[in-house]
Amino acid sequence: MIIMLKDRNIYKPVKAKLTDVIDESSLIKTFVLIPEEEFSFKTGQFIELSVDGIGEAPFTPSSSPLITEKLEVTVMKTGYVTEFMHNLKPGGYMGIRGPYGRGYPVEKFFGKEVLILGGGCGLAPIRSLLYALENVKDKLVKVILCYGSKTPADCIYKPLFDRLNSTDKFEAYRTVDRADDDWTGSVGVATTLLNKIKINIENSVAVVCGPPIMMKFGTIRLLEMGFKDEQIYLSMEKNMSCGLGKCGHCMMGEFFVCKDGPVFTYAEIKHNPEIWK
Amino acid sequence: MQYYSIKKEEWDKTLEHLLLSYTIFATVSNEFGQDYELIKPADIGGITYNIPKPATSLKSFFLPVKENVTSARAPQKPRIILGIPNCDIEGLSLLDSIYLDEDYNDIFYRDRRENTILISSDCFGKQEHCHCTTYDIKPFAVRISDLAIVLIDGIIVFRIMTEKGNEFIRTISLAQPLTDKNTLESIEKKHNAVEESLRESQKMLPDYKKTGSLVSEANMKIFSDHSLHCVSCGACTTVCPTCTCFLLIDKPGFEKVKQMDACQYPGFERVAGGEDALFEIKDRFRNRYLCKYVWKPEKFESRACTGCGRCIEACIGKINKNEIFLELSR
Repeated sequence: MIIMLKDRNIYKPVKAKLTDVIDESSLIKTFVLIPEEEFSFKTGQFIELSVDGIGEAPFTPSSSPLITEKLEVTVMKTGYVTEFMHNLKPGGYMGIRGPYGRGYPVEKFFGKEVLILGGGCGLAPIRSLLYALENVKDKLVKVILCYGSKTPADCIYKPLFDRLNSTDKFEAYRTVDRADDDWTGSVGVATTLLNKIKINIENSVAVVCGPPIMMKFGTIRLLEMGFKDEQIYLSMEKNMSCGLGKCGHCMMGEFFVCKDGPVFTYAEIKHNPEIWK
Repeated sequence: MQYYSIKKEEWDKTLEHLLLSYTIFATVSNEFGQDYELIKPADIGGITYNIPKPATSLKSFFLPVKENVTSARAPQKPRIILGIPNCDIEGLSLLDSIYLDEDYNDIFYRDRRENTILISSDCFGKQEHCHCTTYDIKPFAVRISDLAIVLIDGIIVFRIMTEKGNEFIRTISLAQPLTDKNTLESIEKKHNAVEESLRESQKMLPDYKKTGSLVSEANMKIFSDHSLHCVSCGACTTVCPTCTCFLLIDKPGFEKVKQMDACQYPGFERVAGGEDALFEIKDRFRNRYLCKYVWKPEKFESRACTGCGRCIEACIGKINKNEIFLELSR
C-alpha cells in the first residue's frame, strides 16, 4: 500500500535492527543500524533515535550519506537515554524518525577550500561530511580538518586521520587539551590548530561542529582570521525534540533549529544574542 | 457575505435533530462562568450566545492535553463547536500554520479540523481583560470560522464564511436566506459598539505593530522584576489559545504519547550535556514574550497573541502582561 505523504504519521518511528555496536572510547559507541524501511539522509541532517519505551534523542548520522542500506550513529553516554543506548546489544531494535532539517550545502563548497573545525563528539557528523566531501573531491580545492579532543583516549575514529592524510586534497590535524605520556602531537584547544594551517580564506568556507563553548570561540577565531559571516557554517545544538518544527523545544529566535537548521551560516543567526547559550 | 436566519425555538429543535449525527460542544454558563460543555438534548436551552469568551480556549479541541500519536484513531462522529469567540478563531490561524504545515502535516490535528464545523459567536460584550482590538482582531469572526452566529430579537442569524459553512447551512431546512436590512444594520451597530468600547478601554495599550520591537528592545530588568512573581506553573500557556508546545513521551512498542508542555517549565530547553538556555526563571519568563510578540509573528505572519486576556486571569502571581506592555511603552 502506498501511503500518501500527507497521510504519513509524522510521529511514528521506523524500526531499525541493531547489527553492531562499536566501542569508540570509554564514553562513545557507534551503533550500526539497518532500517526496516527505505531510509536515506543528506549529510548534516539529523535523526531522532529511540530506545523502545525509554526515550529518543537527536543525532546526526556519522556514516556516509551515499550508503543507504545501513546507518551508523555515534553516541556519547551523557544522559538518561544515551545510558540505555550504551546498554543495547546487537540483535535488538531501535526506532528512527527523520531525517530532519537542513544539512550541509555541499554543492556550495564546490571550487573552494573547506576548513572543518571540530571538537569532541562533533567529529561524528563531521565524519559523515568528510565521506560526502571525499565523494566530490574533484570539485573541491582542498579539505582541512582541525580536531580537538579532551585527551588522546577521547579521540574517536583514530584511523580516520591517517586515511585522510594519505588522501589527495585532504589534511587532518589533531590536538588534545591534556596530553598523556604517549602523546607526541599538539596540545591545546582545537582553535590553536588554526595557527598551523595554510588556507586561502577568500576562497574558503569553514564548518564548525562541536560543544557549544568550542562553537563560540571557534567562530570568534575564524572571524578574526578574516572569514566572513556567510562563510561560516555552524551545526547548532538545541533540544530538538520533535524534529518537525512544532514542539517548540529548539526555538532559537525565529528559527526552529530542527527544521530551519541544524546547519546555519553565522550570518543567518548572528542577530540572535543567545545563540551560544 | 451571505446571511441565513432561523427562529430561536426552531434552531433549538434543529440542534436536537443535529445531535443524532453530530457531537456538539457549546458554550453554557454556570456558577463558575462560561465554558464549553458536551451538549445533550436537555442542555440545548442553556446554550449561551454572544457572551465573551469561555474559560477554555479552542485549542483543547484540536490538541488534547495528552494523546497517543502512534496508534490509529477510531473514526469519530462529526463535531460541531458552537459559541467560539473570534480571539480563539484567530488563534487557529497560527495552529493551522504549525500543524498543517506542508512538510509535516499532523494527521491527528488535521482529522479533527476536517471533522469539525466551527460556529463562532460574535461578542456583544467584553470582559475585564479582553483586548482583541489591540491586535487588530475584531470581536466577531471575519474568516476561518465556518459560520458565525448572532442571537437577536428571538432570531438566530448565521454569517457564512466558508464552503463548509455553506454546505452545513443548506442542510438546515428551516434556515432561510436573510435579506432584512434592519436586522443586519442592528447587528452592525452592535459590532461597532463593542469594537468602540474595546478600543476605548484599551486605548493606552501598544498595538501589535509595536509589541514586537518593545519586547525585543526591552531591558532584561523589566522581565527579571516581573518574573519575581512567576512560579513557573504554566497556567498562562495552558489557557493561551496559541501556546501549543509539546513533549513526546516514549512507550513500549515504539509508541509515542504527545503531551502538552510549556516553555515556562524548568528544563524545557535543557540538552543532555546539561546546557539549558532557559535555566533561570527570568529567561523563561522573557522567552514567552519573545516567542509571542517577536519570533512567531516573524516566522508565521500570524498573531501569537489574540488579546483574549486569559493569561492575565489565570496568573496566580497576578502578572498582567498588559501592565508590562504599558511599562514597556513608557
